[in-house]
Amino acid sequence: MTTSPLLEPLIVGHRRMTNRVLFGPIETNLATGRALSKRHTAFYEARAAGGAGAVVVEQASVHPIDHPYERCPLAAEAGPGWAAIAEACGPHGSLVLAGLSHSGGQSTSAFSQRELWAPSDEPDVDTGEVPKVMEVADIVAVIDGFAGAAARASQSGMHGVEVNAGQHSLLRQFLSGLTNRRDDAYGQDNALLVRQVLAACRSAIGPTDVLGLRLSCDELAPWAGITPDRAIELAVSLAPMIDYLIVVRGSIFSAAKTRPTAIDPPGFNLALTKLIRDAVDGSVPVFAQGSVVDVDQAASAIEAGDCDGVEMTRALLAAPNLVTTVRKGGRPRPCLLCNQGCQVRDNRNPIISCNVEPSTGREPQQTAADRIEAMSNQLLIVGAGPAGLEAARVAATNGWVVEVRERSDGPGGMAAVAASAPAQRRIADLISWLENEAKTVGVTLRYGDEVSSTDAAEFDGTVIIATGSLTAPPTFDRGNDASIATPVDVFTAQRGGDEPFMGLEHGDSVVVWDPIGGPTGVAVTEFIAAEHSNVAILTPDAIVGTMLSLTGDLSGANVRLQQADIPILRRQRLTHVDANSVRTVHSFTGETAEHPCSLLVDASARYPNDALWHETGQRFERIGDAVAPRTIGDAIREGRAAAIALGQPIPAGQPTA
Amino acid sequence: MSGGGRFRYLFSPLKLGSVAVANRIVFSAHLTNYATQDGMPSEQHAAYYEARAAGGAGLIITEEHSVHPTDWPYEKMIHGFNPGVLAGYRTITEAVHRHGVPILAQINHNGGQASSMYSRLPVWAPSPVPDPMFREVPKAVEQREIDEIIESYAVVAARCIDGGFDGVELQCSHSSIVRGFLSPATNRRSDSYGGSLDNRSRLLHQIVAAVRDRIGPGPVLGVRLCGDELIEDGTTIDDAVAVAIQIEANGGVDYINTSIGVATASLFMIEASMHIPPEYAMFIPSAIRQAIDLPVVGVGRFKDPIQAERALEQGHADLIGVVRGQIADPDFALKARAGRADETRLCLSCNQECVGRMGLNRWLGCIENPYAGREAELGPSPTSHRPVTLGRSAEPRPPARRLLVVGGGPGGLQAAVTAAANGLDVTLHEATEHLGGQARLAASVPSRAEFGDLVRNLSAECRRLGVDVNLNSPVDTGTIGSAQVDAVIVATGGLPNRPWWAPPSSEGGDRIADVIDVLAGRVHPEGSVVVIDDVGFHQATSVAELLADRHCQVEIVTKAMVVGQDLGITLDMETWWVRASAKGIVQSTDLVPMGYGDRGLTLLHHPTGNEQTRTPDWVVLATPPRPNAELYFAILAAYPDHLVRRIGDCLAPRRAHAAIIEGRRVGDALTTELYSMTPSAARS
Repeated sequence: MTTSPLLEPLIVGHRRMTNRVLFGPIETNLATGRALSKRHTAFYEARAAGGAGAVVVEQASVHPIDHPYERCPLAAEAGPGWAAIAEACGPHGSLVLAGLSHSGGQSTSAFSQRELWAPSDEPDVDTGEVPKVMEVADIVAVIDGFAGAAARASQSGMHGVEVNAGQHSLLRQFLSGLTNRRDDAYGQDNALLVRQVLAACRSAIGPTDVLGLRLSCDELAPWAGITPDRAIELAVSLAPMIDYLIVVRGSIFSAAKTRPTAIDPPGFNLALTKLIRDAVDGSVPVFAQGSVVDVDQAASAIEAGDCDGVEMTRALLAAPNLVTTVRKGGRPRPCLLCNQGCQVRDNRNPIISCNVEPSTGREPQQTAADRIEAMSNQLLIVGAGPAGLEAARVAATNGWVVEVRERSDGPGGMAAVAASAPAQRRIADLISWLENEAKTVGVTLRYGDEVSSTDAAEFDGTVIIATGSLTAPPTFDRGNDASIATPVDVFTAQRGGDEPFMGLEHGDSVVVWDPIGGPTGVAVTEFIAAEHSNVAILTPDAIVGTMLSLTGDLSGANVRLQQADIPILRRQRLTHVDANSVRTVHSFTGETAEHPCSLLVDASARYPNDALWHETGQRFERIGDAVAPRTIGDAIREGRAAAIALGQPIPAGQPTA
Repeated sequence: MSGGGRFRYLFSPLKLGSVAVANRIVFSAHLTNYATQDGMPSEQHAAYYEARAAGGAGLIITEEHSVHPTDWPYEKMIHGFNPGVLAGYRTITEAVHRHGVPILAQINHNGGQASSMYSRLPVWAPSPVPDPMFREVPKAVEQREIDEIIESYAVVAARCIDGGFDGVELQCSHSSIVRGFLSPATNRRSDSYGGSLDNRSRLLHQIVAAVRDRIGPGPVLGVRLCGDELIEDGTTIDDAVAVAIQIEANGGVDYINTSIGVATASLFMIEASMHIPPEYAMFIPSAIRQAIDLPVVGVGRFKDPIQAERALEQGHADLIGVVRGQIADPDFALKARAGRADETRLCLSCNQECVGRMGLNRWLGCIENPYAGREAELGPSPTSHRPVTLGRSAEPRPPARRLLVVGGGPGGLQAAVTAAANGLDVTLHEATEHLGGQARLAASVPSRAEFGDLVRNLSAECRRLGVDVNLNSPVDTGTIGSAQVDAVIVATGGLPNRPWWAPPSSEGGDRIADVIDVLAGRVHPEGSVVVIDDVGFHQATSVAELLADRHCQVEIVTKAMVVGQDLGITLDMETWWVRASAKGIVQSTDLVPMGYGDRGLTLLHHPTGNEQTRTPDWVVLATPPRPNAELYFAILAAYPDHLVRRIGDCLAPRRAHAAIIEGRRVGDALTTELYSMTPSAARS
């Protein structure tokens, strides 16, 4: 049993949180239509069972024509789901709250087939949709919507509600000069609607249920947006109406800045949160949000008085049992802040998932394996990347005697290489966590130990092949004297010594060919730029890093590249590489061009390294990149699934229980 | 020949295997996103296909059904591999068969042209070559997986027959593992499935044999082939003809369907917008039909029956795929056959609400048919399946309710059509001398002319329904007072809105003009022109092309990352780039206008904070309009007891589909209020 400020109880209004950790109202796409589903219940129950002090359910729209994403819950349909969640989470001691929202002009008309409602007719930055300027009757309908939703939540057994005036919210749009240009009472006093909504919710839920407010305290647009100074005024004036306040940031120009990737440092909002907390002076508990995923940072923020509690949503996606693990003195599975599984406000309606925890969004976690009769309980895993390590960890937990043999000198495989990129350093935490957990459950790890096909074929036991990937053959012509490298070469190159980086001389030009548009091409370009001044990135797309839209780093990456003065060669496919140039063809017009290039870095997709699998007669289980080079998430999921599929070995002759 | 008047080929019957097809109009396979979250066919599927069957289509081929759990590329795909689909199959086939129309199921495995996001399984393909769109490295399938695929096609084909389908079509054309094997671009295998055409087509023939064996001789079996992938190292027409010859020689197949392009590389040529000439893909069925005797289906922007008739007459194809034409007007065939082809609600090939919604994982709709995609909920269009020339309902329903519609843009016209079809007595006043509002102007650019069919179709429908249309007829509150109406719909559109940084004409902004002013011919920019694209659609690019054609030097400036960003959604981006490049139009991105004055136009490059200036002769604004709502509020104030609604840009400036949807919805809702009965009841 460990003590930590994180584990101290906290009084919130008339209720008590058993600890300071709050799971925030993240989008999940778990809904069935617009109703909360059984999958929702299992999702929240896992966090409650893992010890979360409070669980805020995915925000439900309070008015039917607000339909910001297809699976956005609707408060009018949320009653049974709220009741089921309250029933499932309550016994674990968590405070369970209903998130309530109206997205206003940040919604879409695609599903509702109705106009958007907003304070003024400012088109949305992302979609360009021009909203209807709300008439008084519309405002009344929204207030009634909040009140009705709050009453329903309360009647369904929720301990209270959290009102959204943060990202994607009509209430923030009223509070902000960016979006509110009204000259009526709601413009002259731009907090009027928020106060009316809070008052209506309070009267709907009564004095003892919890009323929380999520407030954007910095819209990152000081020319007209909510600034920290304005947020202090707002917080002080609203504090008497609420039971807790969550400080967030972001607005119409910064949708990705509310829950960013690791490009932004963990705990980036703590200073802002402290400003607000100092201003409200203990009148209401203040929660910090914003990439708070490390237990130590969270604990010291509470200790330092930055905040009273912490929203650790993404940390609880990676480790639903974070609180119970900390209580036992353990180390929770680390969040990468990669946004690759949990950023689901996406037209494709991906179900929320986590790159490092395969059960997230598919609760309950599958751990129990069938008992099987095995001739041998020995398991050889070839390769200590994320797939191999996760398979080893789970199999050892299930009773296998596991040996992992890795050709290189350390764990992690491609993931360890990727961790060289500054924005991907947290991957190193994951590798160390996986390695450490594997050792804890008795896995033997051998590095610098290559497995031959004979070794594998003659192994007395079960073999899993997790041999990773290889450089793929180039898709362009190359001259004999062309100089070509891979991102692996770049990330593992010596830096800071006497030798020039990658053997580059001053004035040499580097071109990165990025036909994928994912994190790698941009990361490798930025990595080179930090060492060598002359690098350009070549993309077949209209925008560099198109796939980064899925993690929220698309505009960020484009801004960083342009600020670093890195040329972006758009809409061009690489056709030929020579010693001093590359030739390209325009993706649409077919026009050809030539660009100076002394070194080409080919960031194309990789090939599976499946030689061992073929040499051993395709009979062993293959996982991760050795099947097809993909993400860390795919590797970990397949590693876990393969281990679970092995079952729990029972020596031959013993009865199966 | 069996009726059809001038369309002797179009309405001649044909047999596909043992199944009789009454005419040559095929509602061929296309995605709808009508499947449920868990991959089941829906009531909406049945209602949607039934409406086209009732409208006289000769043959319906459903959207693809996945044959295997490794194939789940988009969320709402029918999971043919799940036995649970059977009930839904029967609902669909019974609905279509009610109208005597045969229906086939298209079955498919998309191979590497897919995502593992939904399935959480590696995607399968001939070689580990990432797809150009999904960009995921697939798993190269082994023999046992190939065997599994073949078996899964046979199993799902049999399930389709069990579910009442008259046969199946194998999609081997533009997004398929079979295409992946056929195409040298994606097949790098060195075993018996790679290398020569015989090897590359092996999987196709094995699937055909397995499916025919499993379904028996009765049901129809079709194969859809791609005639030109339009990609580097891709399949071209010679290979396609050779494969068609092999298919015919091997037997078991009843017809060949065709397509062009690769869905994940050259989709803009598969679902071509109005910028691609009609019949652009005709060379494919034409070449295949010359080489084999099996019936061949031709597709590719067949918009009207005359065009389809001519293609048949000239021998390019035996059947014609009309997809978007029948989305826009489910009665496409019926009207042609009855000699009322001029009443067809012609497809615009705008791609806005059909193709445009598919890529965004939304249900299929139509810019001008507000019932498309909502047939299960709303029923087919009220003007369907009845003698539309009769006009308003013959049923006496005294006293007649009178509706005044102010504004003859798409919203006002649709509201008038809906209300008139519901039996209301409708008068429409348009202030200008033309109907159509901004839609008419949008269509005035040469390459966008087909957009004008939106206005033509709605105006004609108003005429047929007896709407009293008054041009050059501005309305004020006095008009309302004297008009003796029961309800008013205000559809007065939007007005050009000068952004904060742009001075009015009287204060130095006389060389700044709105796109609308240029298109309407009120101003004539010359010399150098900067077009500000703040809308991201056709407005900026259309006016830029128009001015470039008039020898202006044109630069488009946008704060976004690309000019005309939504052109990607309607598949207009590729052709825009080709035309812009040919016309010398410069495209500049990430630039926010900050002022206009003596120094010219000041622009902020927002990623870096650097300032730039331009000194063009003219600045043309493609910026959001503001609602023209003065009349609406004046009526509300003057006649608080009147039933008054506003729709379209007058409510919030948006695109044409929003005005049409609102016109339909408010037209029905007002009818309900006026008669206190449901519109469907009113229609019966």
